[in-house]
Amino acid sequence: MTAIRQGWAILRKDLLLEMRSKEVFTSQFLFVVMAMVIFYFAFSPNIKNLTTVGAGMLWVAITFTSLLGLNRSFVHEKDEECLDGLLLCPVDRATIFAAKFIGNFFFLTTLEVIAVPIFAFFFLTGTFLPNLGWFLLILLLGNVGICGVGTLLATISMNTRARDLLLPVLFLPVMVPVIIPMVLATNYIFTQGESMSELSVWLYTMAIFDIMYVVAGYVLYDFVIGD
Amino acid sequence: MNQDKLALDVQSVSKMFGRRQILTDISFTLRTGEFLLIVGPNGAGKTTLLKILATLLSPGSGDAFVSGFSVKKNPTKVRERIGFISHNHLLYRDLTTYENLKFYGEMYGVKDLDARIDELLNMVELNHRRYDTVRNFSRGMFQRLAIARALLHKPEIMFLDEPHTGLDPHAVDILDGMMRDMSSTTTFVMVTHHIESTLSLGTQALILDEGKIQYCSDTGIDLERFRSIYGKVCGRGIEHDCD
Repeated sequence: MTAIRQGWAILRKDLLLEMRSKEVFTSQFLFVVMAMVIFYFAFSPNIKNLTTVGAGMLWVAITFTSLLGLNRSFVHEKDEECLDGLLLCPVDRATIFAAKFIGNFFFLTTLEVIAVPIFAFFFLTGTFLPNLGWFLLILLLGNVGICGVGTLLATISMNTRARDLLLPVLFLPVMVPVIIPMVLATNYIFTQGESMSELSVWLYTMAIFDIMYVVAGYVLYDFVIGD
Repeated sequence: MNQDKLALDVQSVSKMFGRRQILTDISFTLRTGEFLLIVGPNGAGKTTLLKILATLLSPGSGDAFVSGFSVKKNPTKVRERIGFISHNHLLYRDLTTYENLKFYGEMYGVKDLDARIDELLNMVELNHRRYDTVRNFSRGMFQRLAIARALLHKPEIMFLDEPHTGLDPHAVDILDGMMRDMSSTTTFVMVTHHIESTLSLGTQALILDEGKIQYCSDTGIDLERFRSIYGKVCGRGIEHDCD
């Protein structure tokens, strides 16, 4: 119960700070919309059916947008060394990870609630709608992977001088095992793939790496956030 | 309060940052209810020692026991028992006074939190600013709120890292008053450069230089010896601050 109370306090504090500053959401929203507009004007004159390249464009936009949020997720803790204040509290470090992970997941999912319909408007026909449930599952699994490993790596890069550069350098290679199945599974949904067994392979792969990343973050966080 | 009980038991603590030795074989004890002043020139390792005792850094070797709990093996138990005030106020600028204290109070599991917040805000004279975001607070107001934050959970031991830095006279009065009021129930460890103004508070003293103990009192401060060693370490007399 103590961990839940403390985790909720951290999460509520982060939500309150973001609602007040709107720093992360505004920059993420502008970035993802601009990325989609640029993709649309770059590809639409040459490719008749944009659905065929939609999966790649969607995940490029979401992955790079998530980096903006992950990089900023500790900015309030670094401000006036509030991280020391947090670390002085009698809280298990894994609880801090869980709260930060849930916060990042919430922010990314909220962004997608707005960004994905805009993406669908530009790039998709209605043919993927029968598989909407599967598409939402892919988005959620992708978000878990991004936020699991992203929260851990953002904590590592937070204490470095070049944290804005270091996070993408660490994050993107580690994310490859999740990004590839995310793109392939999404492409399957958008292009009406034939075999469900193909989709399930990608979903299982994503789920396995999600579990690995979240468990690794939970277990390693004490080492990562300490001195 | 049991004056014979050890509040602090530091056993051969050493610490390196990279190849640089910051602390070397630091050992001392402090009984409950005492007030330890830690002084020394810049780079002596004072803040590093305080951060190890507060579990913000781990000791490279050795161990320290705070209220009987090891900073290595039981850091959470240590954190429940300590308060920490430094020249950084550790407050979230976009939260209000009340929200900052509410957050930290929930993290510490403070019972009857609203009443405790009222009590502390009255003590540090910030009750009239309880719903203001702290972003525009003056340095003195930040530090007064930091005092309230550190006292929320009624800590047994207070660690203070140069708490007087940048304070206006009113905030200094509040801080010193708080320390005097709590001196019968709380153990204090204070790192300071303002030795002349704080010597009256201290019951024990430690002089650090280049990560080593140069002077450590045991049964009260031997002022003559303290002045002599302090003068050698800082190159000046006690009437000057060692900075």
